[in-house]
Amino acid sequence: MSDTPFISLPPAAEAELVRRLQARDESAMTLFYDKYSAALYGVIFRIVKAEDEAEDVLQEALVKIWNAFASYDPSKGRLFTWVLNICRNLSIDKIRSRQHRVGSRTQGLDDSLTAQRQAAPVSFRPEHIGLQEITQKLIPEQRRIIDLLYFEGFTQSEVAEELNLPLGTVKTRARTAIKVLSKLIR
Amino acid sequence: MENIQDYIESGILEQYALGELTAAEQADVESQAAHYPEVRAELAQVQAAFGFYAAAHAVAPPAGLRERVLINLMTQIAASALRADVDALAQANGPAAPRPAPSAATEAVVRPLASAPVAEAPARRSGWAMAASVALLLSLGGNALLYSRWKDASSDLVALQNDQAQFATTTRVVEQKLGDLRQENQVLRSDEFRPVALAGTKTAPTAHARVLFNAATHKVYVDVRSLPVLPAGKQYQLWALDKGKPVDAGVLTLATATGEGLQHMKDIASAQTFAMTVEPTGGSISPTLSTMTVMGNI
Repeated sequence: MSDTPFISLPPAAEAELVRRLQARDESAMTLFYDKYSAALYGVIFRIVKAEDEAEDVLQEALVKIWNAFASYDPSKGRLFTWVLNICRNLSIDKIRSRQHRVGSRTQGLDDSLTAQRQAAPVSFRPEHIGLQEITQKLIPEQRRIIDLLYFEGFTQSEVAEELNLPLGTVKTRARTAIKVLSKLIR
Repeated sequence: MENIQDYIESGILEQYALGELTAAEQADVESQAAHYPEVRAELAQVQAAFGFYAAAHAVAPPAGLRERVLINLMTQIAASALRADVDALAQANGPAAPRPAPSAATEAVVRPLASAPVAEAPARRSGWAMAASVALLLSLGGNALLYSRWKDASSDLVALQNDQAQFATTTRVVEQKLGDLRQENQVLRSDEFRPVALAGTKTAPTAHARVLFNAATHKVYVDVRSLPVLPAGKQYQLWALDKGKPVDAGVLTLATATGEGLQHMKDIASAQTFAMTVEPTGGSISPTLSTMTVMGNI
């Protein structure tokens, strides 16, 4: 477990953090930041691909997490899953509004995608052991599908269109990839 | 459900985890998960897999971001809490608001500010509390303003420090140049240096340069007025002719050849004539006489 990337706090620590946040303990947000910011920032940055926007989104996400904390239901999932979704959704909203402004998403999915890929972040250093494992275990097509779904905010149908594959194939490959990832968690 | 496995394999759990579903569809998935342990387990697995994938891409945020976002967050939390209190008090104190005895409703509205009951003297207490809240809100605004001024000031300071560093560099360069000029001036004014005019040969009739030669100290300076521009890989070389024998006096830098200033050449013990030829970069052992550009006698 020690060489796998950060997933979430140990259950007891997570429960304690959730309790403090539910009790509106502001200082718990500092602890929250220290535990989760790298993972959240990584996802945000992968999606928006610009440092200043990533900071804006992270800021917005923290405010939202604080304000909407009452709607977090621990019985429905881990805290990490919940906050990750908030960050991902805000990031995807951000790039969609940007794409909407430029009008590139409807005009040329390929162009915009290629452009985004080329704008790979300079400061991004994929040296985590978990990422190396992922690179080794996922075949490139699987990884591409997961990247499109997770970091580009594509729906499964959009991925099918983008990769020129039947929707069923995309679903199967996504599921296979998720199985591979699940095995890596242990 | 007829077939849980079909449901699981339909891809809807992935869609749920990725946030692709409508609120109604989400609620449906949640109720399926609540009913069927297999669905629940599968969903947890999908979420954990995406979480793992996300965490594997963790990037430490840039320096300074932590303080910025946390300060902003705390300011927003404090501001919205105060605003809520002020709103609540304003509502409770409003002239239109009926106050039917110390009712539960009033108490609930006012409670956020102070948990003490307000039944005793609601108007007065609330008045003071409201004034305090407003004062706090103002102070908070003041703090935010001061904070932003402080940030401006510190970025101004950084800019000034940069300016200063640049200025220091410029000064150093200027001082060095001044030193060079002073030395040149000494050479030019010294009686010990004999100026030797070098006139253009027929290959370059307009070429024109000077050599300053100190016979006592053997020092040689060259001062170019005008020389043809050389192609890449070529350099002017100065020669001293002592009783007809050429002695290497060094090559001219590009700056010297374009007339930027004096250049201190190699010491020459004795000479009657100076001349310049065009040689490959770095100079030659003996002059290529066909390329002689300028020459002059002492």
